[in-house]
Amino acid sequence: MKKQNLSLKEIFLEDERFRISYYFSLEKQILSIKKVGLLNPPLVALRDKQFILVSGWKRVLACIKLSLFSIPVFVLEEEDDLKSFLVAFYENLATREFSLLEKAEILRRLKKFGEDEKSIVKGYLPLLDIPPTVSNLESFLAFSGLEPEVKKIIHQKSIPFSSVRMLVGFTTQERKLLLPLLFPAGQNKFKGILEDLKEISKRNDISPKKILSSKEIQDIMGSEKLSPLQKSDSVRLILRKKRYPALSLRKESFDSLLKKLRLPKTVEVKPSPFFEEENFSVNFSFGNSEELQANLLKLQELSSRKEFSAIFKFK
Amino acid sequence: MRKSEYFPQKVYVEKNSLDFPLTKRILKNVGPVPSEVIDEPQEVLEDIKASKDAIGEGKKYLLISRQKGKFVKPCPCTPGYLGCNYFILNIDLNCPLDCSYCILQHYLTNPLLTVHVNLDDLWRQLDIFLNKKKHRTIRIGTGELGDSLALDHLTENTADLVSYFRKKRNAIFELKTKTVNIKNILKIEPAPNIVIAWSLNSLKIAQEEEKDAPSVEERIDAARRVSDKGFRIAFHFDPIIRHPDWEQGYKEVIKKLLASVDSARIAWISLGSFRFPPSLKSIIEERFPRTKIIYDELIKGKDGKLRYFKPLRLELYKKIIGFIKEWGDEKIPLYFCMESEDVWREAMGWIPKGEENLEAYLSSPLG
Repeated sequence: MKKQNLSLKEIFLEDERFRISYYFSLEKQILSIKKVGLLNPPLVALRDKQFILVSGWKRVLACIKLSLFSIPVFVLEEEDDLKSFLVAFYENLATREFSLLEKAEILRRLKKFGEDEKSIVKGYLPLLDIPPTVSNLESFLAFSGLEPEVKKIIHQKSIPFSSVRMLVGFTTQERKLLLPLLFPAGQNKFKGILEDLKEISKRNDISPKKILSSKEIQDIMGSEKLSPLQKSDSVRLILRKKRYPALSLRKESFDSLLKKLRLPKTVEVKPSPFFEEENFSVNFSFGNSEELQANLLKLQELSSRKEFSAIFKFK
Repeated sequence: MRKSEYFPQKVYVEKNSLDFPLTKRILKNVGPVPSEVIDEPQEVLEDIKASKDAIGEGKKYLLISRQKGKFVKPCPCTPGYLGCNYFILNIDLNCPLDCSYCILQHYLTNPLLTVHVNLDDLWRQLDIFLNKKKHRTIRIGTGELGDSLALDHLTENTADLVSYFRKKRNAIFELKTKTVNIKNILKIEPAPNIVIAWSLNSLKIAQEEEKDAPSVEERIDAARRVSDKGFRIAFHFDPIIRHPDWEQGYKEVIKKLLASVDSARIAWISLGSFRFPPSLKSIIEERFPRTKIIYDELIKGKDGKLRYFKPLRLELYKKIIGFIKEWGDEKIPLYFCMESEDVWREAMGWIPKGEENLEAYLSSPLG
């Protein structure tokens, strides 16, 4: 490996065979180069008489933004792609954490450059903090093959692997339908939507596409009154009811009973989680003894009312 | 379904387990199956764990090992629900059958079928344990971390176990199985404190979810033969699983069962609805992609495990108890595995007051 100065124009960036990092912000990298210069030269290799980048995409792209003419680089004299890639891999492994997407891209490249499946599972998955199983490798490889817009959302929202794994189980067309629902959702809702959709589909033998194309859901998605987040929440609720019909019905009946009881706004009556226990809980807040007494009186009055005893049917 | 007895593709023997009589017996009984002596199973395990289906792969191999810890342990039951004060005996680990819902897929870190051969330690530990519990009757069995009879043609352990326990009158010893591997049992003299139990399910669940297990009819027939020999028998409807026509499915099996065996010989029937730790779900999904059982209305219970929403559980239990009472003796002891007090009260009509109360109830028919 030798160090030399190279004009940025000489680096053929269209060859992304070694690239594992996407969707990053250059701001801090630009600031760093502006303040202290490029301390760590990128790694390049010569292929078909052209220099291609092995490692250091962020640095090179930042230098281009800064309109630098030439930069110092290390030139790898290795001609084998796998060996070259491993230099970049181990260099990065020692200095930073990989994102899920980067892990997927690393695994894809290892496979592409000829590493056999068993060696990847046993040798590389543990290095990437992935439990060493073939199915984990398959899921990561499938992830790296997803549509760029889907990969971008996953990366930007730091979606956990369990959700990514579900997402790769849908078809391209289904993922296209899902994107507007997933984009405004946080990690938990993202997972909830995918999980409920997948499970309704499996249980009822209906394709996710058919569920998502139902009139009920399409009306929500086509609504001009609802924000993207409201649409996502409404569809999530529909899916929830379909996934847990008996529980949803019980919740609705309980809520409707509470409505009839007209509890003071400061008092909240709650069943146990999933109505699994026989007890109910009452929460209220107060700022002084008058408020406390008023709440207690209201509760006492409520508990003596005939309608209130209906609550115990929910045990 | 597996019609023949299980034989591994290969036997691994840990070096320090070579000289035990049980090792020699197993190696003789496996016949031409190749065996290899290994220092420790780590390398074999790593290879298996790197395979596409480590759990399924592990079932192909038998590891002969020593139990380094305790053979006898209290059944862990589950927090927040009533326990039945059962004790488990860990001689065999893992099971050659491949039920989709099996908790061992999640519970065992070692996917190999494993037999512990240091039986002298077992008897010594059991003596101490039973002596400590001498003032009460305890129920103990081998069918928690493995099937009690699935490897019996290789280990012949049942003969030794029954002959040990028949003299221990403060213990009720249970062998629990889904197999029909009763050849050795039928050679043994029965004793009142020995119970041979079968796990049963609806025909549909047995067919679709209990891969490699004999059919329900075959299990019932094996139970009848063991009962005719003079043994007390027991049944576990666990996990009870909702499926289309589940009511008819369980009705059919219970009717068939109670027409085939004498109710008076039944020591107990346990009922437990499908429940599992959330982390088992992804294992089931991956290993059994066609199953639908994990997509029913399962909620997170007090113990964090997924179980049916309570009204659905109650519906299952009430129906099944009704079928048992309709076709069997009213006096057959019934109990729930891992259920709450309110479910006991509503479905059974009574609540055991503490674990010892339940223990007395289940051991009372033994006199």
